[in-house]
Amino acid sequence: MVGTPVLFIAIPLLAAFLIPLTGMVWKESVRIIPGLILAYLLVLAINLLSYVTVNGPIVEVIAGWAPPIGINLVFNAFSGFLVTIMVFMGLLVWLYSYRFKSNVEYEAARKYFLLLMMLVTGSVGIVLTGDIFNMFVFIEITGISGYALTAFYTGRDSAEASFKYLIMGSIASVFLLLAIMIIYSQLGTLNMADVASKMHLMDPKYKAVSFILFVIALGIEAEVFPLNGWAPDAYAEAPGPVGAAFSGIVVKAAVYALIRYTYTIFDLSGAFDLLIIVGLMTLVIAEVAAIRQEKLKRMLAYSSIGQMGLVFVSFGIGTKEGVFAALFIMLNHAIIKPLLFFSGSYLVYHSKKKTISDVDGMGKLAPFTSLLFALGAFSIVGLPPFAGFWSKLSFLMAAADSNMLLIIGLILTVSVVELVYYMRVVNRIFFFKRASHLLARRPTFNAYIVMSVLAVLILVIGFYPDSVSTYLHNAANSLFDKSQYIHSVLTATIQ
Amino acid sequence: MDSTYFQYLDYAVYGTAVLVMLIGLYAALVKKSLLKIVIGLSIVDSGLNLLIVTLGYIKGGTAPIFSPGYNGTQAMVDPIPQALVLTAIVIGFGVTAVALSLVIRLWRHHHTLYIDEIKNLKW
Repeated sequence: MVGTPVLFIAIPLLAAFLIPLTGMVWKESVRIIPGLILAYLLVLAINLLSYVTVNGPIVEVIAGWAPPIGINLVFNAFSGFLVTIMVFMGLLVWLYSYRFKSNVEYEAARKYFLLLMMLVTGSVGIVLTGDIFNMFVFIEITGISGYALTAFYTGRDSAEASFKYLIMGSIASVFLLLAIMIIYSQLGTLNMADVASKMHLMDPKYKAVSFILFVIALGIEAEVFPLNGWAPDAYAEAPGPVGAAFSGIVVKAAVYALIRYTYTIFDLSGAFDLLIIVGLMTLVIAEVAAIRQEKLKRMLAYSSIGQMGLVFVSFGIGTKEGVFAALFIMLNHAIIKPLLFFSGSYLVYHSKKKTISDVDGMGKLAPFTSLLFALGAFSIVGLPPFAGFWSKLSFLMAAADSNMLLIIGLILTVSVVELVYYMRVVNRIFFFKRASHLLARRPTFNAYIVMSVLAVLILVIGFYPDSVSTYLHNAANSLFDKSQYIHSVLTATIQ
Repeated sequence: MDSTYFQYLDYAVYGTAVLVMLIGLYAALVKKSLLKIVIGLSIVDSGLNLLIVTLGYIKGGTAPIFSPGYNGTQAMVDPIPQALVLTAIVIGFGVTAVALSLVIRLWRHHHTLYIDEIKNLKW
């Protein structure tokens, strides 16, 4: 081993506090240090993930208090997989925003990268922690940095979007704390594995109430209908890379938390049906809302919400294939949606209102950006041979194995809606005459690199889906192996 | 000691905490002024903190500290909820600070705190 899971939290948190100090000495360091740290964390995540695949989960005991008393971090195939995705997305977001338009000034860059490091710390912490109260703290860290990043642009309506997000987020945190305290008052423990092993002792009434409170609280962060009112505004008003960070990092962490509660901690029989119902509602309403959006980024935001609905339906199937498909969709969404956000924000760069009609004829002006946008659009609606095809196929197969034919029909119908609104944009880009006098904006060098890396990944996963399926299978197996999770945490000792 | 009297008192403390939370939620969801919404959110936090401390209380318990006068037989209250409440208070403070700074931004932008007049974004 080259490191331990605690570094994923300690290093970015330390960096977030040190950046302002190093900036006093050397101004460029506020941009460079976060990138170096994220690159190191990515290497560490990949190393630990391959270690975990061979040797089983790593359980780290913090501060010398063995579980169930102290806080512990769990790095297994499932959480490790998500940490790897999140750190990788963090690195790409950093690279894209290295000299982003509003970051050129030192003062702005310092705040931006500080908040980005806090966002990564919080999200990675949510995934790694094995303690329910500690998870609440990390959710709040993520939330507060998320509010501040949403309001990063001083003009426009960003403060309004951020205020909306803040109200919903703080009501969510109240519900979350209430749910945690219900569990604590009944079982007298906060450790996830300990709670899971004692869950059968809890009165079903308390169990149901605290589960519903958890679903409401985490659903707000995970953009589940009807709790996602903040999401389209936050995506549309936040800087482009922040939208990508939300869809690639924050939402993944919230989905992880919800799935951990449903699969490992609670043993309620109706929970999977609840996931399917909530997921289907989210999917249908988000896709229908997306088709009538006029602003490009809002359309992408609704599409992002729809994808999350699909993830929830897939988790709700409750089989290993279902979890495999859900993780595959999450992986693809983490790759494709940032590509769409990045290329899309360049296509409407000079436009005031950022409407979809402003992309007319951009195919001639900005061929590379347009091509990448089209690639992302084809991939996310699930056309072969791109990455999105395999995740949708595995989802449909998992649903077919469980005889959920109505759901398959509904998902395919909704996919047509998705196809319509994405093809409408692609059609406008390539085949419409340029109506406005808007000029295309050349992407920066960093943006070229980031978008190319994402496009190559889409093609690689599209042609060789086996390259990721081993990791996905391991992750799905580790989520299902509840007794191993409990055992490995409760027998953990101080190294 | 009359135990029934203390049980009613227990419920009264729980009831007060929930009542404070409901008052806060009412302010956060119904009031039209941004400042009142922020105050409401802060009241919800206080009610929740009160509830958590109440959950950890043991009848006749002392502070959970091994001080020189402690004879080893007296019950102590549960220290974990108190530690959790300290964390929750700090987090609530941070959220309130961010919320107030956003209210200042909105005031500068719109010159009003009335929420019906700040509606550029909608579904």
